[in-house]
Amino acid sequence: MLQGALAGLAAGGLYAVLGVCLTLMSRLVRVVNFAQAATGMFGTYVAVWLVSDAGLPIWPAVAVGVVIGGSISALIGIIIGTWLPEADTGSRSAVTVAVLLFLISLSFILFGNRPQPFRPVLSGPAFQVSGVVISQVAIFTVVVAVLVALSAHVVLTKTSVGIRLRALSERPTTAELVGIPARTLSVAVWATTGAVGTLVVAIVAPTQSNDATALSMLVVPAAAAALLGGFRRLDLAVVGGLVLGVLQGAAAQLSQLSVARHFLPFLFIVGLLVWSQRKEVWDAAR
Amino acid sequence: MNGAVNTLELTGVTVARGAGPVIRDVSLTVPAGTVTALVGPNGAGKTSLLEALSGVIPVTSGSVTVGGTPITKLSRVARARLGLVHIEQGRAIFPGLTVVENLRLTAREPADIEGALEMFPELDKRRDSPAELLSGGEQQMVVLARAFVSRPAFLLIDEMSLGLAPVVFMRLLPMVRRFAEQGVGILLVEQFTHLALGLAREALVVSSGRVTYQGQAKELLNAPELLHAAYLGGADAPRQ
Ligand SMILES: Nc1ncnc2c1ncn2[C@@H]1O[C@H](COP(=O)(O)OP(=O)(O)OP(=O)(O)O)[C@@H](O)[C@H]1O
Ligand SMILES: [Mg+2]
Repeated sequence: MLQGALAGLAAGGLYAVLGVCLTLMSRLVRVVNFAQAATGMFGTYVAVWLVSDAGLPIWPAVAVGVVIGGSISALIGIIIGTWLPEADTGSRSAVTVAVLLFLISLSFILFGNRPQPFRPVLSGPAFQVSGVVISQVAIFTVVVAVLVALSAHVVLTKTSVGIRLRALSERPTTAELVGIPARTLSVAVWATTGAVGTLVVAIVAPTQSNDATALSMLVVPAAAAALLGGFRRLDLAVVGGLVLGVLQGAAAQLSQLSVARHFLPFLFIVGLLVWSQRKEVWDAAR
Repeated sequence: MNGAVNTLELTGVTVARGAGPVIRDVSLTVPAGTVTALVGPNGAGKTSLLEALSGVIPVTSGSVTVGGTPITKLSRVARARLGLVHIEQGRAIFPGLTVVENLRLTAREPADIEGALEMFPELDKRRDSPAELLSGGEQQMVVLARAFVSRPAFLLIDEMSLGLAPVVFMRLLPMVRRFAEQGVGILLVEQFTHLALGLAREALVVSSGRVTYQGQAKELLNAPELLHAAYLGGADAPRQ
């Protein structure tokens, strides 16, 4: 059970990083990016193809995949910024659903619908504590999740770019009136989250699943993680992702629960929504 | 500074909004270092005119130049970089940013921030509080200080007094004079007509989207009946 829980850490770290990306996007560019994981999946598939068919070494291939993931994301940002600059979050997010479906189909067309022959980027155990193995991938993703959240926090509070981004998220029109280049900054946020998302998917995916649809749907547990932080708090998004991963890992160990683990993100989301609405329900009931 | 070139110039400016024009055919020159007052009843189109100048909404027809450069096709950011600063109606602070962070957004020089905080000691005391926790008057000071550190060439000020106690507003008003003394050209929209006219060289009265008086501010100040007629949209009110 403990072994299972720790095995879930790799997935948890992945949920956490994607959850942090979703939180940043929701705060800074007013979008719930349903294509977040699909972008990572597509960049990863390109990297896999570069290794298997073009004979590139693994790290340069991942680097190309990351650039592609960042560019796809930036392109969505440009499209939304051009045609829906003042639209509400709902309409802007709807665009990303279309992109999600488009990327899944495109990957079927380009790479076929058989699962990709992933070669793990990181493999093997990192260390062993009293018989329980902790894998390199688990260490890597947890560290990346914490680092991404921390560095995002530092950038947002300490640097002038971060202050501009926060100003932009609070009052977009006023921000432009004081000379903040809204378009450029938003596209930079899209590109960065796209690149970070691709990097973690490329590294963790081989231990999870190698199916395009399954990888794209990683956005669901990521959204559950972001929801714990109310799509605002980065630290809680990290906690949410890790807890969800560990719970799933533990559930997988128990044969009665192993099917239920797929429903965990869903239960997590419903539970959080009910919890966050508890005051409203109380007020309405009076 | 070259007096002839350094002006904000409007020629036949019309601004439409939804149903149709909300202010039409405004021609006006704001020279550097002077205050021009723009007054008129609610809904006259004052805010719409300022918003069209700063690029919040488009200018429907007519031309606007800043220091000779036509700006109606420029983005909001490009207009801001030309030194055109819009102090919006309401309190246009960034609520989650601290006082200092609000100023950092526009400061040309870090030293200017300290200078601005010296002018407003109450802000200096609360420099690291989020702006949303300040009083209304203090928030308006943040907005003025933010404009100050950006070293504007032209200032569009929209009802700075809105929702402020008169005492508080009277503290802010000298800042407008100070901006002008430093060579900033100011277009001042204000409900306290007499205070605005007292600061201004030229004045415009707009009513229902039309300019009903344009001329010396002093003249209007000395002739209340003229002001009254212009407010009511009097067709026979003199136009310069
Ligand atoms: N967003 C909008 N869409 C459509 N019409 C608008 C909008 N905002 C204002 N208007 C209309 O434009 C006209 C001018 O409004 P504006 O706010 O410019 O007047 P104002 O002179 O600033 O008034 P006040 O003194 O009350 O601030 C009004 O008739 C108003 O109903
Ligand atoms: Mg107004």
